[in-house]
Amino acid sequence: MSSNPQATGRAAAETPRLVVVGAGPAGMATAITLAERGLSVTVVDQNPHPGGQIYRFPAVTPKTPQTPERGAMLRQHLAEHSERITVLPEHNLVDIHPGPRLSLCGPDGFRIVEADHLVLAPGAYEYVPPFPGWTLPGVITPGAAQQLVKSQGVAPGRRVLLAGTGPFLLVVALALHEVGVQVAGIIDTLRRRDAFWQLPSLLADGKLLKQGFDYVAGVSKAGIPLMTGHIVTRAEGHGRLEQVVVAPCDGDWVPDHNRSRPVVVDTLCVGYGFVPRVDLAQLAGCELAPTNLPGGWIPVTDPWGQTSVPGVWTAGDGAGVAGAIVAELAGQLVGLGVASSCGAIESSEAERSAEPIRERLHQLGRFRRGLDELGWPRPGLSQLADESTVVCRCEEIRRDEIDAAISAGSTTLRSLKVATRLGMGPCQGRMCQPACSRRLIDLGCNTLEEIGPPAFRPPLVPLTLGQLAGNDEESEDLELVENTPHAGPAP
Amino acid sequence: MSTSTVRSENVEFEFEGQKILARPGQSIAAALWATQQTALRTTARDAAPRGYFCGMGICFDCLVTVDGRPNCQACLVPAADGMVVTHQYGNGADPEPTGGGR
Repeated sequence: MSSNPQATGRAAAETPRLVVVGAGPAGMATAITLAERGLSVTVVDQNPHPGGQIYRFPAVTPKTPQTPERGAMLRQHLAEHSERITVLPEHNLVDIHPGPRLSLCGPDGFRIVEADHLVLAPGAYEYVPPFPGWTLPGVITPGAAQQLVKSQGVAPGRRVLLAGTGPFLLVVALALHEVGVQVAGIIDTLRRRDAFWQLPSLLADGKLLKQGFDYVAGVSKAGIPLMTGHIVTRAEGHGRLEQVVVAPCDGDWVPDHNRSRPVVVDTLCVGYGFVPRVDLAQLAGCELAPTNLPGGWIPVTDPWGQTSVPGVWTAGDGAGVAGAIVAELAGQLVGLGVASSCGAIESSEAERSAEPIRERLHQLGRFRRGLDELGWPRPGLSQLADESTVVCRCEEIRRDEIDAAISAGSTTLRSLKVATRLGMGPCQGRMCQPACSRRLIDLGCNTLEEIGPPAFRPPLVPLTLGQLAGNDEESEDLELVENTPHAGPAP
Repeated sequence: MSTSTVRSENVEFEFEGQKILARPGQSIAAALWATQQTALRTTARDAAPRGYFCGMGICFDCLVTVDGRPNCQACLVPAADGMVVTHQYGNGADPEPTGGGR
């Protein structure tokens, strides 16, 4: 175990080395909980400021003062505990070695950080399955549009269409409307009657349900057309997006192409829910379990958020997408678990403190399951791509090439990768593999368990040879290293 | 705030030989988006245009060349005074459009 004092020459039990990766709501809540229990912790994050994606710190000073929000409060708590919480901003996690030992790459180069307890809070990213035209400039995710508005002070377009499924589309539509963007409409695959059947679960949290209704009312008041039971079937344009084709769809999200019509917009924001980031957990050797959420895999944890690897914990959307409120509570729970493991608090105190958190999580969990049932991608979604649609955005692998590989017997992500190079680009398959898994399942080739999770490899972010050699600025050899820790020849 | 104050607070960089004004802290992708320039690179295989997509450094579609260094994520790199940004062709090793790799 890494906490062997003789091996490390220090009394690990007295001053445990605690590292949190990810400074979104889950990571911030974990760090705050640990600091409140008298423990010191290092928080590693890719961005210049804590907040994660949901509470992203504005990159440019807003022209109008922003209303204080939850993220600002968490940032303030983090700052209040600055004696115990060290934030390492602009650091990318490159690899996780046994121990756990982390390789980080930051503005000052590489560094290795050892941890007695490692908390992974990597969050999630948006699920966009391939459809004709989805690679055109002007087609972005709703989250990307929100970043432009809230963090970068830029309008995402003059006339914008939002499409996909879920309440996030409404949130982004309202944010765009507020800054004067013309929102051409919200295209949601769900039909109003679908929501009706989930009312029993959604009623589990009246406050959140009311918030949902408030969003719908806000959209209606803003005069934004909300088209339910519709789907975007293609994006068209020369060199950039010029128009989007929209069609009504059935309960399986299969479009009726005969009733499709074009909508002229300069930006399309499209997203069908979120994919939990399991890359860090996978590198740490944590056991993953299949789920029916986009992406398909989440780390297995105990009731405190500890994974199958002792000393490695996980919280937030990366452990199963459930949103910022749940992420924060889950972070508190993991913080209590880690504090108890370190002996900073008695296990009875951890249990006592955890009880109200668990109660709230249970209530929110029922609501979330209702939402998940609604948003779970239906078969029509993976039929949108035509044979010439690029599926793997990095390596430009087309649907017909993937189907040919499947016909030739590639029925796992690993064999598809070998056969087509799918997932071998810099995104490591984060963009295409959830949709490819879905395609394999829908074609009846394989079960999710047999298809397996995507295999992430170090370095998790592409590095230059110069960065690997530790002399980034001086190096003239700046090749993109793809999925290999050492700069060997490409396979 | 007067125009001159705003100007002095801005940073100026170059994209494809054109002067672009950005607000301090703004990413290259956001500053270019504000000037309607959404196509940031051309792919290696199809010579297809690509640009800002995920906005959070996950998709690697907004790659540009910054001061001669290819494969920079325009959504993550803040614009800076005097920066020379160019459109990226293929993997960044090619000086001009390629494609036809099919």
